[in-house]
Amino acid sequence: MNTTEAKEKLLLYRGSIDDVDPQFQEALRLARRDPELAEWLRTQSQCDQAIRSTLRGIEPPRDLSEKIIRNRPIPFRRDWKQILQLAAAIVISAGITAISLELWQRQRHPLGQGHEIIVRGEVLDMTCYIAYNLSGPEHAACARDCIRSGLPVGIKSEDGKVYLLTSRAAHSVNAELADYAAKIVTIRGKEAMRDGFAQLQVEEIRKF
Amino acid sequence: MTLFAVFADLREQTAAGGLPFWDDGEMSFDPDFENLVKLYYRDLYRFGLSLTGSDADAADLTQETFYIWANKGHQLENPASAKGWLFTTLHREFLKICRRRKRVAFEPIDEGADNFPHVSTDVVNLIDAQKLLDVLGQIEEDFRAPLVLYYIEDLSYKEIGEVLAIPLGTVQSRIARAKIRLFRLLTEATPTR
Repeated sequence: MNTTEAKEKLLLYRGSIDDVDPQFQEALRLARRDPELAEWLRTQSQCDQAIRSTLRGIEPPRDLSEKIIRNRPIPFRRDWKQILQLAAAIVISAGITAISLELWQRQRHPLGQGHEIIVRGEVLDMTCYIAYNLSGPEHAACARDCIRSGLPVGIKSEDGKVYLLTSRAAHSVNAELADYAAKIVTIRGKEAMRDGFAQLQVEEIRKF
Repeated sequence: MTLFAVFADLREQTAAGGLPFWDDGEMSFDPDFENLVKLYYRDLYRFGLSLTGSDADAADLTQETFYIWANKGHQLENPASAKGWLFTTLHREFLKICRRRKRVAFEPIDEGADNFPHVSTDVVNLIDAQKLLDVLGQIEEDFRAPLVLYYIEDLSYKEIGEVLAIPLGTVQSRIARAKIRLFRLLTEATPTR
């Protein structure tokens, strides 16, 4: 290795951090024997140190770290297994409630029927709404995916009341409403209450 | 798992002092995130500033990097590589900005090993941060990024290569050529006494 080759190598040498790197060993040995190369290396190291100090002397704006911490988004970590378990729990609970109420109503009023109402409001993905209180335009994409994948769909009326939307057999309310997640629609249907849990059997959907 | 088991599981999580899975407690305080910010935001800002030459852009890049970390950092399998991940992300975001903006044409660096400039420590000691940034701004971005990471020093050459997605040999060659270029520009920019 001649002096020029050694300089090429030592140009990348950063002092103690690179001491164990074998690519510098031969050049460093040469620098110990060659005073001119040793002087060149010393000057290079001093220049590097000065540049490093100048760079490290640059301070970010005083409030930058606070801003970063304050504006940190809250991640919504989707544990699909648990979400599906919760969704299943909601559906099963609603089902058990519905069956129990139906049986109870049959005993009290043998032919108890819901009355027809018109509800205007936001289409909700019930799982995220109940579990996380998520709704609105920021949550539209997630709500669309959840509804499309078959999770319970609901509507929040303008007066704040929430209905679980159900449909007659062979009619998928999820497929029809997935693209309207977090948007305002008007639904005509039959309202029914099961232990205080409101549901709306959809007859007609008007989208705007 | 039965319906009762689902609710029992949730109740146990809460009773054990933990939080249900939908509330990981990060709404108010996350010491890991805050520690990570405090550890690396300065170096990330300096890297961003040397790439963009703009305080505002550097601050935006640093914020954006931690924003992405908050959303995707949990996907990182090895927590020890968080630093490299942050620098990689900042550089990627910078490249996105470059694609959106009109790129400045730089003269290609053609500094051979036989062109080592003679630079004195006096000259370099006279350089303030703004002048150093101005000079760095005259170096082509492909060479400037590895050079700044070289000076920030916390990353090995291998890590610098991973951050910039270039091979180790290319990293070292670019740093060497950029250093020669930097010293030459510093010598030209600083009046001799």
